[in-house]
Amino acid sequence: MAKVITEENLRSLIDLLIKAGKRVIGPKRAGEMTIYEPLASGSELTPGTLPRRSAKEAFFPLSETILSFQKDRDGLKVDDVDTASFPETVLVGALPCDAAAPQVMDAVFSWDYKDEFYLERRRRTTIIGLSCTSADDSCFCTLVGLSPTDTKGSDLFLTPLAGGGYSCEAVTDRGEQLLAGYPELFTEAATVTPIPAAQPEGAPVDLAKVKVWLEEHFEDEIWEEVANRCVGCGACAFLCPACHCFDIVDEGTEQKGSRRKNWDACAFSKFTNHASGHNPRDVQNKRYRNRFMHKFKYYDDKFGKTLCTGCGRCIRYCPVGIDIKGILEEIGKKSLSTKDTKGHEANHHG
Amino acid sequence: MKSTGKPEPTVTIDTSGYAVATEEIRSEAKRLLLEKIVDAVVGYQSGRRKGSAVPVIITDPAQAEQLVFSPACVNNLSIYLTKAKKEIRAKGKLAVVAKGCDLRALAGLMGESQFKREEVVIIGVTCAGVHSAGVQPNEPLTSATIAKKCRECSVHIPEGADLIVGKLPLLPDLTPTEKELLEKLDAMTPGERWEYWKEQFTRCIRCLACRQVCPFCYCEQCLCDRGRPQAVDTSPRPSGNMGWHIVRAMHLAGRCSGCAECERVCPMDIPLNLLNRKMAQELKELYQYEAGLTPQEKGPLTSYDEKDDQSFIK
Amino acid sequence: MKHDFEPKIVAFVCTWCTYAGADLAGTSRMLYPSNVRVVKFPCTGRIDPVFILKAFQKGADGILVSGCHPGDCHYMAGNFHARRRFAVFRKLLEFIGVDLNRLEFSWVSAAEGGKWVEIVTELTEKIRSMGPLTQFTDLNDEEQWSGALSNPELKAVYDQV
Repeated sequence: MAKVITEENLRSLIDLLIKAGKRVIGPKRAGEMTIYEPLASGSELTPGTLPRRSAKEAFFPLSETILSFQKDRDGLKVDDVDTASFPETVLVGALPCDAAAPQVMDAVFSWDYKDEFYLERRRRTTIIGLSCTSADDSCFCTLVGLSPTDTKGSDLFLTPLAGGGYSCEAVTDRGEQLLAGYPELFTEAATVTPIPAAQPEGAPVDLAKVKVWLEEHFEDEIWEEVANRCVGCGACAFLCPACHCFDIVDEGTEQKGSRRKNWDACAFSKFTNHASGHNPRDVQNKRYRNRFMHKFKYYDDKFGKTLCTGCGRCIRYCPVGIDIKGILEEIGKKSLSTKDTKGHEANHHG
Repeated sequence: MKSTGKPEPTVTIDTSGYAVATEEIRSEAKRLLLEKIVDAVVGYQSGRRKGSAVPVIITDPAQAEQLVFSPACVNNLSIYLTKAKKEIRAKGKLAVVAKGCDLRALAGLMGESQFKREEVVIIGVTCAGVHSAGVQPNEPLTSATIAKKCRECSVHIPEGADLIVGKLPLLPDLTPTEKELLEKLDAMTPGERWEYWKEQFTRCIRCLACRQVCPFCYCEQCLCDRGRPQAVDTSPRPSGNMGWHIVRAMHLAGRCSGCAECERVCPMDIPLNLLNRKMAQELKELYQYEAGLTPQEKGPLTSYDEKDDQSFIK
Repeated sequence: MKHDFEPKIVAFVCTWCTYAGADLAGTSRMLYPSNVRVVKFPCTGRIDPVFILKAFQKGADGILVSGCHPGDCHYMAGNFHARRRFAVFRKLLEFIGVDLNRLEFSWVSAAEGGKWVEIVTELTEKIRSMGPLTQFTDLNDEEQWSGALSNPELKAVYDQV
């Protein structure tokens, strides 16, 4: 038996959640595109297409205040942000590549320093994932160990059905609670026919071997080849569901202002610029190399996870067509002929 | 905002000349490299995605076979020739593949002493148009997939290039959608325009793709990156975004060559070229200045006339 | 006389002509509204449009840019360059949707203390009648949805349901 919810009831669920005081974030139409945004009602939900920006914003905003200050006759007053005021949130309609990203980022935000801004938002958010039914030539979740039906990161997972509606799978206790909280909206069905899942082109890549190859090819002509054309904007990092670098700036006047945490990108030339003027990543291809290494090597070294979910946004919106899927495939091929860490000759595949 | 007129029937644009152009680009690039006239050629090559084309810098005559020209050749390659691209200029003398709109940018850059005419070999491509942003690269070029700037193109043939390749087909008449949108904005009240731009700029995430892809944003130190003094707030939120886009438009006034790359690359679909175009229009009215295919020694804002209009000054 | 609204007006002036002109007005004991805050520059050619923008963002209700008459520039052509730059910048602001009545330009020489008084008084009264400029300062309090600590717009929706 499978739990099933109709399209209409899913929208009612959103309305009920909003009524219960929760902030519901989901894909919403904005002009020509869809963006994850707070929904004012269930009718605004536009599921199915990959929103332009990733869902990481629900936990890691573009720009957020981390403290504010005010100076008057009585002196300087500094106000911390009350993380307890963060809204209880339900993220609905997150595709697997977006739903899987926060659980990758959790590691870095709770590592040597506990980032309460991120972690508190995470604690207060329930994720309703949605199985993906359409892929284009930039999609590559299957290359990085995920799939269009992967429930990783979701609390509740919806699969669109051929006759309309969704079958629902509770992945975590939280998902279970959500199901139990609104029993009237769900029905049981003996059999369900899901809409066939998307099938991104390309064979899975052996990420362990890729990592070994990267280890040995910090200096390699491939970086110039693929990234000499990089113009150094932050589109890739800002649209990425897993990129998490930020910068801290003070803004305001002498009397009043705030300290803010803003998205940053390793492609920016200022990212590693030292106060002395020296820049260890002095040319653009070294910056791109860092992006790739961070995703497929450094993050894995540190946290045992790959910092990429294969959503393909960076490919679609790169001004100069830098293609992380193509690069990954190419390195995947190259890595088959390199020796692994134990010194064994890796298997060759025709 | 879309054109309110009747939806025009989709017309296919003849791009058979692009195959000819591809052949001619290849043989010219090969010759230039073999005869050591240049050390590197900046052109387009096919990407992994079907039909896609991406910028490439080749130094080996054997690589010339990779070069292509197609409706997916959207990039303005002149950015790779500015003084900011040290690692590319270090390769030596460069040749560059340029459409008419790109040649306008090259002319502008020469006017700003980024390089001298004799330092660069320009392979001009006769162009019927390229894709609009977001179009799947393997789609055919039609009135529905063509870039806005190409609908009103006046430089299909890059006159003044060292060599002009390809041939121009018969071109259909296309409605000038951007011009119409500009007129619509001009007809609004200031309050309505403010609301329009506020909505557009609020979406901005400050990825700075518009700046990075602009041939004229070659400054080593951007005013908008400076912290002390901080001219423009760097946070991606409404106030700083408004500041950034006003400063960007102002710094490009009288310099912008109208390639519309800023608008193409914007991941948030902000119609940035409207601002540049408006400025160009004003500069034409005020000082009869227009970006052209040949370098001009002085831009309209780096020169003056004692008789300039000053009716707005008390 | 007491007013309900005292506009904040920033005057960007060149040191050679307008600043001296304003000084002359002062030493001649001419009266003019104290709403104007004078910021002195070497030349109108040094006045970057970004200063005007910044002033609006930080709460100016009106702005005056003033320098030497054409031909009188201490640096020969600074004001000629400024004239073009501001002619264009006005058009840009107008296109963005700023009311140009809030931005005034003038030539005031070192001898024109009277003209300074006249221009400042006129501008102050005009801005006073227009009321405060809030379009830029309102933006200071706005956030992207994800960075907003509380979302009044959404709260209104919640209150309704």
